[in-house]
Amino acid sequence: MNKVIKSLVILLMFPSLVFAQVKYTVSGTIKDKKNGELLIGVTVKIAEKPGIGTSANEYGFYSIALPKGNYTIIVSYVGYEEQRQAVQLDKNVKLDLSLEQTSDKGTNLKEVVVSSGKKDKNLSTAQMGTETLNIKSIEKLPVLFGEKDVLKTIQLLPGVKSSGEGSSGFSVRGGATDQNLILLDEAPVYNASHLLGFFSTFNSDALKDASLIKGNSPSQYGGRLSSVMDIKMKDGNNQDYNVTGGIGLISSRLSVEGPIQKDKSSFIISGRRTYADLFLKASDSFKDSKLYFYDLNAKANYQINENNRIYLSGYFGRDVLGFGNTFGTDWGNTTATLRWNSIINSQLFSNTSFIYSNYDYKLNFKSGGSDFGLNSKIQDWNLKQDFSWFAGNKHAVRFGLQSIYHTITPSRASGTATSSFPKDSKYSWENAVYINDDYKATDRLTVNYGLRLSGFTILGGNTYNIYNNGVLTDSVALGKGAFGKTYLNLEPRITANYRINEYSSLKAGYSRNTQNLHLLSNSSSGSPTDQWIGSSYTVKPEIADQISIGYSRNFADNNYEVNVEGYYKNMLNQIDYKNGAEITFDAGKDIESELLFGKGRAYGLELIAKKKSGRLTGWISYTLSKTERKIDGINNNQWYNARLDKTHDISVVATYQFNPKWSLSGLFLYSTGNAVTFPTGKYELNGQTIFQYSNRNADRMPAYHRMDLSATYEPNKLKRLHGSWTFGVYNVYGRQNAYTITFEDNTDKPGTTRAIQTSLFRWVPNITYNFKF
Amino acid sequence: MKQFLFIIASLLLFASCTKEIHLDLDNKSGNIVIEGNVTNQPGPYYVRITKSVAFTETNQYPPITNAIVIISDNTGQIDTLRYVADGNYKTTRLVSMPGRTYNLRILAQGLIYTAKSTMPQTVALDSLVQRSFSIGGKVNYNILPIFTDPAPLGNRYLFILSVNARKDKTLQAFSDNINNGVVNQRELMTPSDDDKKVNINDMVHIEMQCIDQDIYSYYTGLIQISGSSGPGGSVTPANPPSNISNGALGYFSAHTSVIRNIVIK
Repeated sequence: MNKVIKSLVILLMFPSLVFAQVKYTVSGTIKDKKNGELLIGVTVKIAEKPGIGTSANEYGFYSIALPKGNYTIIVSYVGYEEQRQAVQLDKNVKLDLSLEQTSDKGTNLKEVVVSSGKKDKNLSTAQMGTETLNIKSIEKLPVLFGEKDVLKTIQLLPGVKSSGEGSSGFSVRGGATDQNLILLDEAPVYNASHLLGFFSTFNSDALKDASLIKGNSPSQYGGRLSSVMDIKMKDGNNQDYNVTGGIGLISSRLSVEGPIQKDKSSFIISGRRTYADLFLKASDSFKDSKLYFYDLNAKANYQINENNRIYLSGYFGRDVLGFGNTFGTDWGNTTATLRWNSIINSQLFSNTSFIYSNYDYKLNFKSGGSDFGLNSKIQDWNLKQDFSWFAGNKHAVRFGLQSIYHTITPSRASGTATSSFPKDSKYSWENAVYINDDYKATDRLTVNYGLRLSGFTILGGNTYNIYNNGVLTDSVALGKGAFGKTYLNLEPRITANYRINEYSSLKAGYSRNTQNLHLLSNSSSGSPTDQWIGSSYTVKPEIADQISIGYSRNFADNNYEVNVEGYYKNMLNQIDYKNGAEITFDAGKDIESELLFGKGRAYGLELIAKKKSGRLTGWISYTLSKTERKIDGINNNQWYNARLDKTHDISVVATYQFNPKWSLSGLFLYSTGNAVTFPTGKYELNGQTIFQYSNRNADRMPAYHRMDLSATYEPNKLKRLHGSWTFGVYNVYGRQNAYTITFEDNTDKPGTTRAIQTSLFRWVPNITYNFKF
Repeated sequence: MKQFLFIIASLLLFASCTKEIHLDLDNKSGNIVIEGNVTNQPGPYYVRITKSVAFTETNQYPPITNAIVIISDNTGQIDTLRYVADGNYKTTRLVSMPGRTYNLRILAQGLIYTAKSTMPQTVALDSLVQRSFSIGGKVNYNILPIFTDPAPLGNRYLFILSVNARKDKTLQAFSDNINNGVVNQRELMTPSDDDKKVNINDMVHIEMQCIDQDIYSYYTGLIQISGSSGPGGSVTPANPPSNISNGALGYFSAHTSVIRNIVIK
């Protein structure tokens, strides 16, 4: 079977693959020695053959093919001791390796690692627009409420823009916030925010690694236009039991991990809850209110034998808000992933995943005898089969398929509210097959190229109306079990890296991405009630083509790194609500009749300079960009600025280690204000002042800037207990950044109008105690 | 919903603060604004024509005094309105009736503006009931209008709520897509801002209008851009979809009207 697949692949895609001489492979998995966590993306090189090397895949598996002989394998990973291992290759050799963390060997100064992987990895891989965050490395950065957060940290990187103060929503290279594929152990997370976005759903204690790919993703990823945020949960320590946790002012965390069978299997359970509501309860006026969220991450893995391992991971989180019996709302995500990793042979690695993902919200308003509710849900059943094939030492091939069954239940009324237009669930089936090759063409040239064929099929059980500019033109009734329209899209992707010399490299890439699930939001900051819809007869798949070009240079023994990337992106079938869209549940309208369609374009220049080691580490990032939309029926069909079109975006992030006990971190942000629509006049109707509007998003919010500082104190270890204190202040100089600007009649000066700015978060302090034993 | 999220957000953001700011706003005003109403109450009926002004100007809206304004209906009535004052034109003899369709035709400053609106059948407002709930120790009052929605689908209602003699009004639009043909159970919210909150002994005036679909769409759009916006600003604002041609701001509505008052106890 494997041979058949191999031959097919070679025949169809890779005529250049030639097996010239008999080769043997050395393969295996690479782990952290201390806790048994599989390490992602470790660089493996051969001392005797400097041109040959590979990286471990995201499951820690590597494989290299070499002619018969004696070799020294060099394994390196930032933050870990380099390891050299002699190997005699006269047959296929299985070699599992464990690396030791630099800090575990008693080195006094801990390095704050800005990116993981090999020190000059930025120069050697073809992958573009990729930022990998080592979760450990963000520990010391100052954050709102003292809660470290991957989604907040990536907003400090070039090309990534925050959708608002304290928000976990982000826009990548001019895309909308729903155009980011956020994966937690491969399961899509449909709403990555807690408490209206002030926290993300990701509890850092449970995470191993997070990487963000800004549009040039390899073809195993797909389904969203702008980016892939791939987050992996920790596997759990298979050597020893650990308890880690943190106690903060408004939230606390606790994780327990340990071996099920030493060396073979492990588990981790992490929980987190906010208790801002306890303060509210303390006051008489708010004793009835509920305002909290919690989440739970759990994962276990079991090694069946040397070559097979299964993982079960899950996430459950919920936000609850309410006032007594009057008003209540809650929402949350549930994901579950069952994964089977199998080393089929020394060159072929298989990953099979069954994934469940669910997001839903409920809202209730009770008064007197009436009881109005709203609810909505999106649910996925997902099967993925992925193969990593280390074909010779020049090709690392990924191929596989993905199949998702979506059930989308639109926002609908419940309780004593009965709608005359009940909204039924809609079903759809999304499929993809892909193949991707990471090809080391020469010592200097690496090419990562692939193809993805994605399909989206509307399934029966509902009636689909077809609208043209909001006017009903036709409708299609699909019986249960019937197959409706299928959209097929071929997505070519290629990136190439040319290594100019030891210190610098040049990259270029093109990629096409398509998207069949769309988030409709009429509020600019995103709300839990925002509605997901699938492609339909009216809504076409969104398509984005992106070209990018980049240059990287490292200085001073790879301690400094500078990356510059430019991109141009063209987007088709973009969606927006029409002006005055009637989307309330009593408008009773088919939501698709309220939509308009058009295109988008985005271009920009991104610059990042990093200092990766030493007492002072950090980065400076700058983005110059433009993002526009042109939607038929909006702004007289003229191009207009997208809301998150921020021309300039600067962030400076630094951490300084004074001594082994004290370190200081700071960050500074500056960005152009969001593009917004302000009144261009006013008039009177029914005796009330009404504001008049003209061009969409032609105005700007005031520029946003702030500085945050935090200090971390790590006293000496007490037996097993390792504790640390973090003290921080958010918005140190108390800048009043505009969160909203509203316009109203001036009560102080009747007969005139005024603009009122609301700002949040000035000098928000935090103290967190983190511990591990 | 929006209101609740806003309350929650402000609870969370104990540090939030507001201030007046000065913005350099573009001036694209000077547009014709038309406000026309024909009701089931005895005439005369008024059409007001003014112009919009820049945000920075005082709330003085230049009236259009020399327009030709004609209202006709589908039974052959034609009435040319007479200018009164402050941009107002009044009907001279028009007799209105639920179920009739009215046409408005205006010639103003060389342009013709037309609109059409159908007056729905009357739905009786039987009474008003006071309801209350408490948030953060403060009692908030809602008003439940008691009326029975007629069995056929398609009724649209506009509620205009004002308190005591205050000038500001709160608008809410209902449709019978929810709970068609039964006694209404939905409450009208009173203003939640501290300075506009309803208290005991306040007199709440409620006008219930039965409106047509176009006017319902217009008010839905108007409600979206007025009042407090939620966290992060609400909908991208735009002018509400008017039923008047040629880009005029405002509306022409033929509706039924009934007013009731309730004193909060």
